[in-house]
Formats: sequence, C-alpha cells, structure tokens
Amino acid sequence: MHIVEVTDLCKAYPAFRLKDVSFSLEKGEITGFIGRNGAGKSTTIKSMLNLVHADSGNISFFGLPLKENESAIKQRIGYSTGSVNWYPRKTIREILEVTRGFYSHWDEEACQRYMDLFRLDENKRPMELSEGMKVKFNLLLALSHRAEVLILDEPTSGLDPFSRDELLEVFRTLKSHGVTILFSTHITSDLERCADSIIYIRQGEIRAACLKSEFMQSFGQADETLEEIFLRLEREARA
Amino acid sequence: MRMLMKKEIRLSTLLLTWLFIGFGFMTLLPGYPILCGVFFITLGIYQSFQNAREANDVLYSVLLPVAKRDVVRGKYRFVVLIELLGFALMALMTLLRMTLFQNAPVYRQNALMNANLFYLGMVLILFGLFNSIFVGGFWKTAYKIGKPFVIYVVVAFLVIGVAETLHHIPGLEALNAFGYDHILLQLSLLACGALLYALMTFLSCKKACADFEKIDL
Repeated sequence: MHIVEVTDLCKAYPAFRLKDVSFSLEKGEITGFIGRNGAGKSTTIKSMLNLVHADSGNISFFGLPLKENESAIKQRIGYSTGSVNWYPRKTIREILEVTRGFYSHWDEEACQRYMDLFRLDENKRPMELSEGMKVKFNLLLALSHRAEVLILDEPTSGLDPFSRDELLEVFRTLKSHGVTILFSTHITSDLERCADSIIYIRQGEIRAACLKSEFMQSFGQADETLEEIFLRLEREARA
Repeated sequence: MRMLMKKEIRLSTLLLTWLFIGFGFMTLLPGYPILCGVFFITLGIYQSFQNAREANDVLYSVLLPVAKRDVVRGKYRFVVLIELLGFALMALMTLLRMTLFQNAPVYRQNALMNANLFYLGMVLILFGLFNSIFVGGFWKTAYKIGKPFVIYVVVAFLVIGVAETLHHIPGLEALNAFGYDHILLQLSLLACGALLYALMTFLSCKKACADFEKIDL
C-alpha cells in the first residue's frame, strides 16, 4: 500500500490548469517535488491538504480518502510552508501551548530538541524573527507531533547553507524512522543530497515520477547534475 | 471544539473585544439610543476578525487536525460567547432599570427606547443580524471583512432607528413598557428575539460551513 496516493487530480484556473496529476509516495522515502514557479507544485500540495478544491481526482493518505478523513489524516501529517507569519504578535510559547493541544501524539521532547537545534527562543514573536527563522518555526510545528508524512513547501528556501545542511540531516534521521517526506524546492542540490525519488511537474502536468536514479538515467546526459537536467528540460520545453 | 475555542481566545482575539463587552453598560445611559451598545460590542468582534486575518488565523486553523467546517463552527461559538456575555450584562442593566430605577425621571422622560424585555429582544435580533450579515459574509471569502461589515452597519442602524422610535406609533406604546407592565407581551417579544437570534445564527453558520468548504485558500 502506498502511504500517499494522488490520482488524476485536475484543477482549472482561468490562466492555469492542473492536468491529471498522479503520483504516490512510499513509506520512509524522501521525494523531491520540482518544477518552475507556476508549474503547479503549490496547487498540488494545497490540494493534498484540502486547502484547494480539485475539480476531480482522488487523494488518499494511509489508504484513507482525504475528504472523509480530513482531521484523522491531519493528526498524522505535518505541513510547513516557507516563511508564513502565524500570529506575528504572539510569542512562540503561546502558539506552541495552543497548538500542542490539537495533537494526540504531540512529542514535547522532539519539540524541545528542534527548538534547540533551530536556536528558536520561545519568548520571541514571529514578527521578530528573520525569514529563515520563520521557516524554522514552521518546521518546528510540523516536526513536533510525530507526523508519519511531512509535506514541505520550499522548506529550505531562506535558510543559510549551514541550517540547510542541518535540516537535510534531520530529514535523513526522520527517514530512518520511517517518516515519508515530500518537499518542493528550487534548490535541486538539496535533492541530490537526500531525495530517493523525484516528481517533476511542468505546466500542470507530471512529466516524471520515479526513483531519482531512474530520473537521472532517463532524462540525464553524461555527467549532468540534477540541476543541469532540470534546466535543460525546461529550456527544451521553452524552445 | 474545546481546543478551537482555546485557540480563538488565546491566539485570535484582541483584548479590545473583551473590553468592548463593557459597552453593555450603555443600557444605563439616559436619553441615548441604548441599542447602539450592540453595535459597539459587534465592533469589538469585528476588530478580532481583522486581527485574525492579519495573523493568517484561518489558514493556520485549517492546517490543524480539524475539519474545515469545525473551523467555521469554532469561530461562530466564539462570536456567540462574546454576544451572550454582552447580552448578560445588558440583561443585568435592564433588570436594574425595570426594578430599582423604573420610576427615575431621567428614564421616564425619554423620547427613545426604554430598557425592557422588548429592548433585550431587539438586542438579540441585532446580534443575529451581525452573525447573518457580517460573520456569514466573511466566510464567503474568508478574508473580506469590509463589505459585510458596512452592509451590517447600514442594516443595524436602520433597525436601531426603527426600534428606538417604534413606540411612538399609535397602538405600539406598550413596547416602551416600564417595570413589569405588559409583562406577557414583553416576555413574548423577548422570546421572539431569542428565537430569531438562534435561527439567524444557526442558518448563517450552516451556510458559512458550506461556503467555506468551496473556497480555495
């Protein structure tokens, strides 16, 4: 059984269309979700969280359809998106105190561990944090309730190279504990270091959803890095 | 739902909203359109909606392990809590005017509405209108607060104007009863107000849940 399954997802906007997006995620795998700005990554991710209503298609987590099991599924998944400012004038402590009550598997020890790792001061307010620290705070919320699936939209953007390296190490540790991670990013070098699989989306259509090694073999030319492959594919599509 | 209420109180609500419940004391103001107290209490709630919007409260709530419709219901419960606290204060002040101060000249010589059970019924109707027009209107987009609030203000002040002067129409003098005069009529009017409040709030919440379900965030 796939941990996450997205089948024939369609969503039409006046200027953009998501066309029959299908892919699956396997337990304990890190999957990189790549594509240009506006290719459909965020729409797909938002659909997976029921933030955007797909016109058609199915999404299931742990074999359960999202629509009928929304709150039960959200107990078991974590989501983080860039540097969104949650409750900018409340302290991190206040936000955490409320948030932990929603999760039956909140892990206070993990929360403290990531607070230390990310050097977050719980007396600070989101409005006082730099963009990178906001990303870390969002990640802290996603990582502190023993999520089995993490959906991370641009989790490394805004982070300094050292923090990115720490975060990728966190991903690898979580993976070894069986956590499934889907993360979208423009920083393809991060994927080269930790992704098992790649989902490549262009103009609302999935062009590849396979193991990273297969992706490199099928789309890559001699000695090309993932970034070079991605850039060449995009250039070819534009030509 | 208990946790959503905690979130509303701890993260989304401004102190101002709680302080504005104090406008329930306006019930004691002589020679003043006392129904305006409702407007100020709802203005306090509006401020919290504005604050919540700037704090990305709706998106944050939807990402929590709760169904989308529960996010809407949580917000309605919070609004009803503030309204009922305001109503309780107004009811207490009305009771004072119906008993201790019923013969006070400043209240007897008053061209505007007297504080009685009809007044309390109108308070509930105004709160119901706020829930229907503003709160219900907010959930059509989950971010636009200006337009539904302006519509609510226009409707609310029309209703306040009518309610404050209705007793001057021949045959409707009993609406301005003092003390326990016309108590059965007064009780019926309060019950009608309570029924309309419950109905408007329930229907508005039901529609808001359906509207919010369709929105892309």
